[in-house]
Parts: sequence; C-alpha cells; structure tokens
Amino acid sequence: MGGFSAISAGNGWLIAALGISVVFFGLASLAFIISYFPRAIRWWNDHAQAPQHTVQLLKSLFGRRQRKAAISADSGERHKPEELDDVEEALRLITAHMSEPFKLPRLIEVAEQRGLARVHSTINRLLVREIMVGGADGLFHWTTPKDSKEGVNGETVSK
Amino acid sequence: MIPIDELKQYEILAELDPTELKILSGMAEATQAQEGEVLIRAGLPARTLFILKQGDLMVAFPDGRAITMHKPGGVVGWSALVSPTSYTASVTCLTDCTLISFSGSELLRLIQRNVAVGTKIMRKISEVLSRRLPFLQEEDKRRIKSRR
Repeated sequence: MGGFSAISAGNGWLIAALGISVVFFGLASLAFIISYFPRAIRWWNDHAQAPQHTVQLLKSLFGRRQRKAAISADSGERHKPEELDDVEEALRLITAHMSEPFKLPRLIEVAEQRGLARVHSTINRLLVREIMVGGADGLFHWTTPKDSKEGVNGETVSK
Repeated sequence: MIPIDELKQYEILAELDPTELKILSGMAEATQAQEGEVLIRAGLPARTLFILKQGDLMVAFPDGRAITMHKPGGVVGWSALVSPTSYTASVTCLTDCTLISFSGSELLRLIQRNVAVGTKIMRKISEVLSRRLPFLQEEDKRRIKSRR
C-alpha cells in the first residue's frame, strides 16, 4: 500500500486537517491577544497615574460650585453654566494626563480630538476668568478656587 | 479703509500724526475671523500684519508654548516687517475676531520711504518683540538682531 491509499488508511487527511486547524486557531488567538495590547497598556498607564488623576478629579469637583455661581452672575453668557462646567471638567481630566503646567495648543488639539464642543471659546472663558492662567514661560495651569479672581469681566490675562 | 480716529486708538499707531495716519488709513482693511480659525501659520511667508480690534487670540510658538491676547490693539504678524518674512508663530482665534489688516509689503514700502513713520512703527514693533523674545527660537532671534 502506498500513495493516497496509505494516507487514507492512516487517517492522514484527518490529521492534516487537524494540524491546519490547530495552526489557524493558534495564530488567530495570538492576533486577538495582540490586538488588546494597546488597551492593556493604556489601562496600565492610567492605573499607574491613578493617584494624580484622582487628585485632579477631586480638585475639579471641589472648585465646581463656587465657580458656577460666579459664571451665572455674569451677563452676556454664551454658554450655559452647566455646559461650561462639563467642558471644564473634561479639560481638567485631559490635563490630568498631561504634566502641569501644560501647553495650551496641545490641550486644544486633544480636546478637539475627543470631540468637545467649542473648545476655543470655552478655554478663552476660563482664561478670562483666571480659572486657567498662563505663566511667563508660555505654559498654562489651573488655579485653585482660592487663587482664582472670578468675575473679572473681559480683563486680559495675556502675558 | 479704516477711519483715522479708530487707528489712533491702537498703541502701535498712537505716535503717528493725522497726516501719517491718513496714509495708513488707506492701506488698512477690516478682517473678520471665526472662533477656531487659524489666522497665521508658523513658517509660512508673512504677508499681513494684524491689529486686534475685537476678540481673543492665541499665539502658539513652534515649541508648544503660547500666549493669549484679549485686549484691542494687540499686534500679530510682525514678521511681515522683518526680512526674511516668514511667521514665527501660529495665531488662532479663541473667539470670533475683528482685526485690522495691513499688507506687509505695502507697509514695508511705506516704512522704507517715510523714515518718520518707519521709526515710530518699528519702535512699537520692537516693544512687542521684546515681550515675545523669550518665546522665539534662536534662529528667529538671530534674524531680528541682523535686522537691527
């Protein structure tokens, strides 16, 4: 006995199909695992920065009510206070992942990538109210609620 | 064309007399820009100088640092007056803006032709520059020094 009949007699076709399947599923599993690497790395990075992240979040929540009152008192409001507050909170979360002081153009770029509405005017409002301020070095940072001079309508913060 | 009375209010043109302002008045144009619009891109040929009339601007330097302007009279695009004319920073509107624009080449010709106007304008430009010097790249600083 030889050739194809020998293969059939020894279950060769079945073994070949099994081998192909094992290799196929092995590679597919590997590809699936590798596709999750970016998420796993991101999770790891977030986890490693958790204390700083939490502090930033607490800061943003802590200063929220006082600023809200000041914003509501201002006339000619173009954003609803709660909208501004939400965007501000989102911006604070973004900057929590950046080192502070941060680069303003980079913040705008990331905020736009994340789909935040009217990033430019929102940031302008935060600057005018000195909730966010620029340093002489051209970098920006958040002020603590205590430091911020709210209700300064239209005053410049340019350096 | 922009009225002389309006031009006189801006710091950069404050020292000019009515005759000089009249010349500039014919060269000036009102320009509107929307929130988020990039008015100037760093590295591109500088053809226009702007004076902020209304609105808020962000001047972003190539290394990511930035300054913001919120008061009328702020000047951007001074590179249009310093050879070789290419912008050193990008300028983005943070809100809807109204600006007074001057053609760089026309303004440069006026400055070269009229020494009195040139001196007064360049003195003000120098003040703007001295405030922004810490943000400029070494290459730009050399360019300005060679111009002086």
